Amino acid sequence: MTEAMKKFFAVLLVFSLVACTSIVKVDGEQTIRNRMSLKLADAWNKVQLPNDRQPFDVWTQEGLTVDTLRFWAAVPHRGELVRAPSGSVPQGGKATRVPTFVTGMEPDQLVSLFETMYSSDGSSVTINKVEPTIFAGEKGIRFEFSVLRKSDDVQLLGIGWVAVKKEELFAATFLAPKLSFFSRLRGKAESVVKSAQIKG
Amino acid sequence: MLTRRGMLGSVCKQCLGISAFTQAPMALSQTSSEPAANSAPVLPGRFERPRIDTEEGGLWGMMDREEAKLRRSPFVIRDLALTKYVQDIACRLAADHCPDVRVYLVRTPLFNASMAPNGMMQVWSGLLLRVENEAQLAAILGHEIGHYLERHTLERMRDMKNRAAFAQLIGLFGLVGALGQLGVLSGMSAFSREQETSADRAGMRLMQSAGYDGQQAARVWDNLIGELKIKGGENAGSRSPLMASHPPAATRRDDLMRLAGDKSGESGATEFQKATALHKITWLQDEIKRGQYEESLVLFDRLIGQNPVDAQTLFARGEVYRQRDDKDDLQRSIEDLSRAAQIGNPPVEVFRSLGLIYKKQQDSTLALQSFEKYLAAAPEAADTSLIKNYITDLKP
Repeated sequence: MTEAMKKFFAVLLVFSLVACTSIVKVDGEQTIRNRMSLKLADAWNKVQLPNDRQPFDVWTQEGLTVDTLRFWAAVPHRGELVRAPSGSVPQGGKATRVPTFVTGMEPDQLVSLFETMYSSDGSSVTINKVEPTIFAGEKGIRFEFSVLRKSDDVQLLGIGWVAVKKEELFAATFLAPKLSFFSRLRGKAESVVKSAQIKG
Repeated sequence: MLTRRGMLGSVCKQCLGISAFTQAPMALSQTSSEPAANSAPVLPGRFERPRIDTEEGGLWGMMDREEAKLRRSPFVIRDLALTKYVQDIACRLAADHCPDVRVYLVRTPLFNASMAPNGMMQVWSGLLLRVENEAQLAAILGHEIGHYLERHTLERMRDMKNRAAFAQLIGLFGLVGALGQLGVLSGMSAFSREQETSADRAGMRLMQSAGYDGQQAARVWDNLIGELKIKGGENAGSRSPLMASHPPAATRRDDLMRLAGDKSGESGATEFQKATALHKITWLQDEIKRGQYEESLVLFDRLIGQNPVDAQTLFARGEVYRQRDDKDDLQRSIEDLSRAAQIGNPPVEVFRSLGLIYKKQQDSTLALQSFEKYLAAAPEAADTSLIKNYITDLKP
């Protein structure tokens, strides 16, 4: 294959991925999976990656590698917080465990789900603060955490909110680089999360 | 990109390198599966830095850049004493090549070590948690040094480059092409398995020559098989020979056992435990955070089997049982956590975990006692506010 052909296929691949990724500007009133309503004072970018079947919605201000605001709504008993990796399970073997909500989980177990989720790529996660809160109109937990991202060594800070209503989990997490971005975007994320209300 | 002249120069230089090396690898990793000879292995001379305009020089340059990044990485464990301890083991194995080997300990909870052609060696914390003694660590380091001495990365890069270009080309021809691609890529895996086997032989010679017990190399794989079976089933590591880049773990263990023969040596268990003691609790907590409970339980069962009064590992196993919370898990957790507390000097989180279980079981008295012990020992803990709330709710 000539050098020119290689370049052509590389450019084609990049264009295909960009074309499949949809970024939609969202503002005003929004609903997550028909079960959690949000009121936005600022516009956010809602990102949908190709073939993405994740059980959460992800929004960003500056791009996915910078900041993410994720929402989970009405995750049922034994519902996964993140999609299980694809691939067959060998005979006699077990599938890779993914963070899974089970009714009756204690607050620390709920926080552990997110700790495991954010450390699954080899990143180092530390929970810095856990406290009771009201989230989406329900008694819940607020936690602050830091992530040392494995892929690029960037130090990130995050906040998470979780509540359980009628055996369903509702949650949000905001994560951004400690340097500049977290303090700059935190207010916008907290404003959205504060407006959350469970529907139904 | 390599010019034709550059490529020729590189190949030529490599030929010289190989010809100078041909006697050495035969001695270092001779292909027999018989016990490694009692004589000291003949190592090649120290490698000179390849010219930058060669293929190997380009590879070194790339690795130099990676090493510069790694040196600054917050994942590197900055414990001079521990790093020196591992570096000294590497030097004992690498002999004259010692000045060229630079060890970096990296905080990542998986079993892995690697060595780049420029001498950069990475050892992950998940490996340090899993090996039982200095001889087992030496077996892994010796294996990596074997790859380095036999210039496997360069060989693999050349092979992959050739095969990837060919696979890309035939991939243009639809399904038939796709099947062809698979065949070419599986060939790549087979080549890599040969290198792994060769590095095992080289590692055995190096560790035995340094005075370590060679049978400990087989123990490493014997220990890992239990964990591998959780996801891989009974035939873990051998189910998919097409894509496995390493020899099946059981085969590897058996081959290493044969290679070790009956030559005795030291294990260095006490020295290893002493050198790693300070970091063990962090590595255990990183293992718990992986959320792969069944694999962690196999590991913790093994570690507790070796040292039944290790309060930190008892805590770790109890915590995994508590988080998994399957049938009978909470009772198992209470047993481990209580034993850890009785042994003395347990991690403070033992009391938080006990408090949470007793709270769940609605045993207010024991829950209160445990939470109060936890807060007394860790008044600045991240979850202080939450635990204080529990205490308020539990008080009559």
